Amino acid sequence: MSYFADKQPLVADIFSRYPDSPQGRRSALMPLLREVQDAEGFVNGSRMDEIAALCGTTATEVRSVMSFYSTYHTLPTGRYHLQVCSTVMCSLAGSDELWDHLVAELDVQSGEVSADGRFSVQKVECLGSCGTAPLMQINDDGYYENVTPGKCARILASLRADLQPLPDNPVPVTVNAEGRQVLASGEAVGASVTGLSQLPAISGGEA
Amino acid sequence: MKVNVDGVELELPAGTSAIDAVFEAGGDVPYFCAHKYLSPVGACRMCLVESGSPRKEKDGSFVMDDATGQPKIFWFPKPMASCTMQATDGMHIKTARSSEVVAKAQAGMMEFTLLNHPLDCPTCDKGGACELQDRAFEYGYGASRFGFDRRHADKHYPLSDFVILDQERCIHCKRCVRYFEEVPGQEVLDFIERGGHTFIDTEEGGLPTGFQGNITDICPVGALLDNVARFRGRNWEYDHTPTTCTLCPVGCSITVDARNGRLERIVARENREVNEAWICDAGRFGHAFASERRLTVPLVRVNGELQETSWDGAIAAIRAGMAGRNAADLALYLNADSTLEEGVALEALADAMGTRHVDHWPRYEVALDAMPNGAATLSDVATADAVVVVGADLGEEAPILELRILEMLRGGLLPPEYTHGTAIADLRLVERPARDPQKLAVVGKESRLWGHAGIRASSNGHNALERLSQPDTAELQAALKLLTDSEKAIIVLGADVLNGASGSFAAQLSDLATRTGAKVMAIPAGANSKGLAALNLVPREGGLPYARVAEAPAAFISRLDPGVRARGLTIVHDSHLTATARLADVVLPAVTGYEKRGTTVNLEGRLLELEQAALSAGEAADLIRTLSAVSEALGLRAPVRGLKGARDLAAQRLGIKLGGLPERGVIHPLRTAHVAPTEQVYTPQLWTERMQPSIQTLIPANLQPLPMLGAAPVGGDD
Repeated sequence: MSYFADKQPLVADIFSRYPDSPQGRRSALMPLLREVQDAEGFVNGSRMDEIAALCGTTATEVRSVMSFYSTYHTLPTGRYHLQVCSTVMCSLAGSDELWDHLVAELDVQSGEVSADGRFSVQKVECLGSCGTAPLMQINDDGYYENVTPGKCARILASLRADLQPLPDNPVPVTVNAEGRQVLASGEAVGASVTGLSQLPAISGGEA
Repeated sequence: MKVNVDGVELELPAGTSAIDAVFEAGGDVPYFCAHKYLSPVGACRMCLVESGSPRKEKDGSFVMDDATGQPKIFWFPKPMASCTMQATDGMHIKTARSSEVVAKAQAGMMEFTLLNHPLDCPTCDKGGACELQDRAFEYGYGASRFGFDRRHADKHYPLSDFVILDQERCIHCKRCVRYFEEVPGQEVLDFIERGGHTFIDTEEGGLPTGFQGNITDICPVGALLDNVARFRGRNWEYDHTPTTCTLCPVGCSITVDARNGRLERIVARENREVNEAWICDAGRFGHAFASERRLTVPLVRVNGELQETSWDGAIAAIRAGMAGRNAADLALYLNADSTLEEGVALEALADAMGTRHVDHWPRYEVALDAMPNGAATLSDVATADAVVVVGADLGEEAPILELRILEMLRGGLLPPEYTHGTAIADLRLVERPARDPQKLAVVGKESRLWGHAGIRASSNGHNALERLSQPDTAELQAALKLLTDSEKAIIVLGADVLNGASGSFAAQLSDLATRTGAKVMAIPAGANSKGLAALNLVPREGGLPYARVAEAPAAFISRLDPGVRARGLTIVHDSHLTATARLADVVLPAVTGYEKRGTTVNLEGRLLELEQAALSAGEAADLIRTLSAVSEALGLRAPVRGLKGARDLAAQRLGIKLGGLPERGVIHPLRTAHVAPTEQVYTPQLWTERMQPSIQTLIPANLQPLPMLGAAPVGGDD
């Protein structure tokens, strides 16, 4: 059962972003992996072979690239993949206890999916929001900050009802064609050289 | 350009890497990841040096140091990896010899490398030949500050039948990964995971056959081990014999490692002109026969049974068997991997006996010496700008030639040579080299090389050359155009076209070579066919070729296995009790190609020396000694009685001085003396039954595997 067989326009679009050379085709590895991962929650061996065939490389190469990143999964993940930051700042703020609580509460270990298919958990390296530790990211949706026991219980309750609470801090999407970063809502964040407003002229100097 | 290493002024060619500059100055830096024939990557960070360069002012003059009056040297703020840094004019380099900083950096790096390296040295096969061990001794602190238990991983992970990976010992130098990518062009090995969890693995369900064994040579630690030689001995226990491989006509330089008279291991030796640093799997792992089930004493047939006897007994049996017959009735057949000296001895004896039935096998019926544009060498192939392979399965005929063709596809860059040897880091070599498949055309049947060729034309062997000369399809037209359009083209011919090639073939080929300006490399049938063809070792007028050995009145068959016996007395000279030996009247024990001294001629016409490895072979004798025993039985005085005599005779016959050849061999054009019909087709086959190593699997057969979950790959942090 091939994944990309009925998605030729998408594949063509992905390959169109890279040079049409053997090395360029290999570069399409990452978006193809991301595509499968977003759709299925993980990338299994046959998908790796398929991507390898598309890129003109070997499955070994695909697995090598994939295993380098902790955000690609070789094992199935749940509908809500809870990623708990476990680096030193968050662990000082109680992320170890949060992790233990999640593992016990949801009855999953890393690499497992809960019986109802909803939850999987993963310890991740620093997510760069140490000021709001302990931190949890659900799927790619955004950061849930200051996850205290009470907040954790509220989040889990809503997830069990399939009502995911809005993240405290949505993850900005990558830079768009205009060179700007925007939130999922479309609101522009950050700055860009193209969007700078004209500064008022400095008075008092020579014209 | 001028480079200063530790105060030594050097004059070096531009493009030299800093590591080669250091070695050229007689200095030393430790390195694990650099390799002469692989791209430099700077993965192991051991070859740190301090370096600095002079700077120029805007007007082009050097910034001067007021104190010394010399150009001021601006040092890099941190030590640099010398293998990926190009030495530039006026550069100053400091190694650990003259810099405390470098010494400390290297010791620290060594400590880091040893962080998770298990202390397997007492049991690890690499002990004694381990680069990590040597360099830790030379450049390390000498004491460890890490008292914790180390990372544990799989210790005998079979990458294939021949190669076992010990994941704990791997220091992530990436040599094996780069080797597979760059040399055979098969990306089947790569790093999995990252950081401290990194290990090497393949997803392809094993390593590709052909050239996998080389990774056991280049692994700087005991992570990748040759499974055939594993747990057989240590480097210092082996008798190392530098010799030449006679399994195929390439003639790779190898080192034969024997221990207690058993051949335990074969490793590649560097020969820049021939095999660089690589050998094929057959040459590396297919040595089981040299120490298993060897014939050690002569056998004679008594009352229908073969019985052990002495050489005197065997000579008496030959004499009795030839009683009432003429010496000229004895046919002499020898294997085409015999040395030039053995060939000379046999030719001389055949002339003395007056026998018409002389032949060597395998051979072809065509002489292709007098080609225009000269003979092609392997370095010519590697630096050519087009190669057309016609009717050859290089995997069976000459595997290393395939590697040299792939080298041509990725640019044909031969690393330069310095007084310390081949450049350790040739900065022109890059990772994942771009290959240009359009420079290679393959005409003939499908083979491993098809996957790399830009132009592929299916053709039968018997008319492939004709069709290439007058192309009738688009592919063949493209192949011919490739030959005509390129400056330095090579035509490689294999068994499919050379089998049954007749008299007009040479003229046809010569015509094509003249038209296109291409050099010709015809792969000989046997390992030393090119040398033996220079002698008169073919059936004389009315003589029987080897194909008709069964009709010979009596026959002496050296290391060939036709599976039939002659009509009369049959003498078989072989290292094993072959099917033919079981039918013979007298069986004389022979030595293998690993235990001979002599000279072989490879497909370029390069004379290469064989040396004798210390293998126990009982009373086995080479062909020269065996022939003198046979001539004694026939009541003749052997014209050649030993190696020296054979070499003297070769000097008279061929005008070449054998013995004392340079290590890389020497190219000597030899002319084919005689051709004769073979009356049979030669099918090249590299691996033979007796070469298969008996690899003991680690899991006993009676052990049931534990029930396991599906074969889902185990993720790292997932």
